[in-house]
Amino acid sequence: MSDFWNPYAALAPRQRRLLGVAAVAAVLLLWSLLAVSGLVSATKLPAPWDVLAALAYLGWHEGQSMLLTATLWSVGRLLVAGALVIAIGIPVGIAMGAAPRVNAVLSPLVDPFRSAPVVALLPILVMWLGIGETMKIAFLFIGAVVYLIPMVRDAIQAVPQSYWIGARDLGATPWECVQRAVIPMAMPRIADAVIVGFSVMWTYITVAEYVNARQGLGQLIQNARRFSAWDQVFAGIIVIIALALATYQFMVWLKRRLYPWETEQ
Amino acid sequence: MSSEQPEAVAAAPATKQLSVVLEDIVQEYPAPGGGVTRIIDRVSLRFDQPGINMLLGPSGCGKSTLLHMLGGVRPLGVASPSAGRVLIDGVECSGPHDDAVMVFQRYANRPDLTVFDNVAFPFRLRLWRERVGEAEWRQRVEDILKAVGLSDKRGLRPAQLSGGQNQRVALARALVLRPRILLMDEPFGALDAQTRDEMQRLLIELHRSWPCLVVFVTHDVTEALVLGDRVIVLSTQPARIADDFRISEPRPRPASWQRARETLALEERILGQLHQASPGRGQLRVTI
Repeated sequence: MSDFWNPYAALAPRQRRLLGVAAVAAVLLLWSLLAVSGLVSATKLPAPWDVLAALAYLGWHEGQSMLLTATLWSVGRLLVAGALVIAIGIPVGIAMGAAPRVNAVLSPLVDPFRSAPVVALLPILVMWLGIGETMKIAFLFIGAVVYLIPMVRDAIQAVPQSYWIGARDLGATPWECVQRAVIPMAMPRIADAVIVGFSVMWTYITVAEYVNARQGLGQLIQNARRFSAWDQVFAGIIVIIALALATYQFMVWLKRRLYPWETEQ
Repeated sequence: MSSEQPEAVAAAPATKQLSVVLEDIVQEYPAPGGGVTRIIDRVSLRFDQPGINMLLGPSGCGKSTLLHMLGGVRPLGVASPSAGRVLIDGVECSGPHDDAVMVFQRYANRPDLTVFDNVAFPFRLRLWRERVGEAEWRQRVEDILKAVGLSDKRGLRPAQLSGGQNQRVALARALVLRPRILLMDEPFGALDAQTRDEMQRLLIELHRSWPCLVVFVTHDVTEALVLGDRVIVLSTQPARIADDFRISEPRPRPASWQRARETLALEERILGQLHQASPGRGQLRVTI
């Protein structure tokens, strides 16, 4: 325990995993004890095994999987919104980072939304776009893009000037410097921005799907709540957390594969 | 903002008359407390033959700024030069031009590209793509990799190379363009003594096979004496020319020459001139 208070001490992977599993197990144990003891009523806190049963029920019941359908809807919305976030947010962020004039014009329009409650925009979006898919996609898009754009801009501006000067000296036009020297060097941090964007969208997906709930994991949770099926609410939440975590892990893995040099230097 | 390039295509440097002139160069910066600080004060220099020219001065004296002017690179948010002109073959130089290529102390090697692609980088730019066909530039890259001794490292990335090898990549990327002027900004300053010796010897060899005009900035007196055909000593705050002399001793200059009485006298002379011009300011390095 001599290195307990030591931020630089590296734990063995086995030890780290063990401690993590122990923490989750402890929470599950506490949860089970609470459920068994009857201190908290089952309507407020369903037992872990009830949640598991609900998960199985949602996963397969009478020849269909509500969970799979809902997941596919949510993932589909997320992918459409994510594609838009990438297609629009990255070019805008690059333009802001690489051209101070563009930044001066756009930053007062974009930056305030980073700390603004995007959820508060939902009624306005409903008024403008109705309660269909367009509104849901737009909501996810706005929620993520206001984070992504400033992050991409910062990624561009964090590239050391020496790369720009070096390319300029070799005869690159200013745009070539940006295109061939600055953007490639900013890609790892741009990838980080995309990862954050997707995490943000997973946190907003339920909000988007509460309005006019028809399909999706948000709807599934909302529906279960209406019938006070708290075990299903818990199951839905756990699925969303698991999917968000899986998305994150996958994207981090992808980033390491695409930009292995970032960690080398 | 101008992106046009002068159309002079580099011929073999030895056969083409070359003239690089710095005329009454002044550089000033806004001072923190208002007013201006003059860091370069009426420096005039003329280079008209291929050779290694050493710009020697204490750290922070403005010699890198002079070098940037020769390269037409303006990294600072200040007009540069504040007064005076840079003429290359009689034409005033107002932006990046392809007669001169720079090698920086912090090598600007791309971590995501292999050694080969780092050296071939200029040929991804429109300017060089239009001038040099693919077959030719591939051959040139091969040749220069061989010349700097990195043929067997072509597939590695910068993080897998040592500091000296990285600087070889930077040198190769500059020379692959066959520049008439090679500008070197303390290129070996970050290397350990032994690697620096190796790199100096490599530069001498490369210069023998491609005798271009080299302007080499350093704050290392020994390096200036070992490499220079001509040594220009700059004082500091503001930079003025404190001394300017030629060394006719053929290169490579052996350790016995470096310890000879005439060499030590030269060293004394440099340090004396600098002390007189700007006592107690800036740092010089002497390695022997």
